[in-house]
Order: sequence, then C-alpha cells, then structure tokens
Amino acid sequence: MEWPHKIVSLLKANDICSISFIPDSVIGRILKVAEKDPYFHFTTLAREEEGIGIITGEYFAGRYGVLMMQSAGLGNCVNALASLAIPYQIPFLILISQRGELGEFNACHVAMGKALRSILEALGVQHYTVNREDELETILNGAIKTAYTSEQPVAVILSTALVGWKDEK
Amino acid sequence: MINRLEATRYLVEQLSDEPIIASCGNPKFDLFTAAESRKANFYMWNSMGMASSIGLGLAMARPDKKVIVLDGDGAILMNLNSLTTAASKAPANLVHIIWDNAQYQITGGQPTHTAGKADIEAIARGAGFKKTLTVNTFAAFKEALSQILSQPGPWILVAKTDSSKALGRPPKSPVYIKNQFMEALRGA
Repeated sequence: MEWPHKIVSLLKANDICSISFIPDSVIGRILKVAEKDPYFHFTTLAREEEGIGIITGEYFAGRYGVLMMQSAGLGNCVNALASLAIPYQIPFLILISQRGELGEFNACHVAMGKALRSILEALGVQHYTVNREDELETILNGAIKTAYTSEQPVAVILSTALVGWKDEK
Repeated sequence: MINRLEATRYLVEQLSDEPIIASCGNPKFDLFTAAESRKANFYMWNSMGMASSIGLGLAMARPDKKVIVLDGDGAILMNLNSLTTAASKAPANLVHIIWDNAQYQITGGQPTHTAGKADIEAIARGAGFKKTLTVNTFAAFKEALSQILSQPGPWILVAKTDSSKALGRPPKSPVYIKNQFMEALRGA
C-alpha cells in the first residue's frame, strides 16, 4: 500500500470521517484516494483557520476531523489554535505537508518551513514527522491516540523525504 | 435600531434546545444575561471570527437541529471567507445572525467598515447565500425570525443594533463551557 492509501485507511480505522482541507499537491494525492470512499465528509476551506472552527463544531456533535494543509497554512491558524482548540480542549489531527526543507525550489516557502516546528512548540502542540513509509502507521495511530487522550490537537508532518519534492529548479 | 439584549431574549424564547454559538464580546455577554441557565449555549472567550466556522461544523454534523450563530460585525469581517465556505456547503439548518452596530463596541466604539461602505448582507449574497435579510427594527427582527425558524436555510440575518452595554459575564472556564454544551447536545 502506498502512503496516500495508508493514510486514508488509518484515518478511517481511527474514526476520523471529516476532512477539512486546503489542498497542495501532497494533500491532493490523499484526497484522491479518500474521495472514493463515501465514509468521508469533505470541506474545502477558503483559509486554513476556518478548519479549526469547523472541526470544533463537528467535535461538539461527536464527529472527529482532520485538518489537512501545507506548512504555510499553519501561519493562518495560530490564534484559532491558541484561543479555541487548546483552551477548549478540542482533539483532532493536523496533517501538514512540509515545504521549505529538503528539495525546496521556492525561497518564499523556506522561512515558514523553518518556523513550523517552533510555532507548534511555542503553542505546546505536540508534533511528529514522518520520513519513511514504514513509520507512518505507528506515528499516525500514536498521534491520534495522544490527541484524544490529551484532548488537544496533535500535528503530523509529512516530510518531503516521504512524499518527494517538486522537480523544479 | 434594535436593542441586542431584547432581541437575544426574544430569540431564546422562540427556541427550545437548539444549540447557540455566541461570538466573543457582546453577543455572548447578552446571551448569558438572556438565558443564564440554558445549557445549549456555547460562549467564545476569544478566537474572534470563528463563530461562523464553529456553527458551520456543528450544522453539518447535526442536520437534525437548527444551529444558531450569534456573531458581531467586527467578528464576521475578520472571517469573511467563512461565508463562502458556508454558502458552498449550505446546510439547511444553519442560522447565522450578525448583530451589526457598525463599531468595535467593546474596545471603545471605533467604527468598523460597516459604518462606512461595507454591507454584510450584500457580501453574504456574493458569497452564495440565497436567503439573506437585513432588519433595522425590533418588529422587523421578530418577523424575520418567524420566517427563519420555520423555513429551511441556510439563513443570514443582519440585525442593526444599538450599542447598549452588555453586562452579562458567562463562566470563564473554557472546558466547563464545552462540557455543558456537549452534554446539552447529547441530550438534544
């Protein structure tokens, strides 16, 4: 099973049926697999921050969600994480496609890519990075379980070592 | 002009156990004054702008319940993109009420853009909402509400309010607020 299929089956196995997203080419590969399964509800966001609110509202009704976005999107989410998800204790998975590290061609992604983990740490959001396909299951299952136990959002970062980088110079 | 507290009281009288998401600032202060013992109230202490998104998520996950959002003009201006998302998903049970007093009342009355050229109902229509209303009087608010609560939406109601002080102060523990609200939803 390739990583996009593996991610989708792990989400389902963990009762995560709601996907709120801003696409990038990596998230797009996951969506392409998930779209074939009527189990999932999809919400295309206009800005990543909205996803925190939407997932909070769904959680109130007992529905679990994942926020999928590129690392750039974390910058748009900071206050909603800090003043909604964290203090109200809303558990969910944040799945982040990493830009600005290995193989980056676009200088304008580098600063946010470098700041990504520091921002999560400053907020106290636990984060784990997947570099290899064989660690995907352990990290995703473990991160989701910790999110539910701690009633907090937990981030999983998909490294370009796993998903590849753009072939552009 | 509509008095926000009077309108909030009237709204709550028309409801039973429908969930209400109240935006940070005066919408939640007046909701607490109007319906202190009502458990299906969610009070936001920050995350300005997120009320519309929380309401959308809840409306999608609980299609059997009308979901009421009590927002302010300043807050929705901070998350205008959420209107495009809500209009696209278009849950019929979503009722988004925006108290528009054209100012950041809580910080001293500095004018918002609705004091100038911005028209929230027109923005909502542009975002794709088909059922939108703007009301300026309490009588018109009551009439609009009877339509909104009896017909499928999603609805946008812009209510032009005065800037009477909101004195209510809901509990300050976010987890307490969440637990009360979720318990009410489970029973509803």
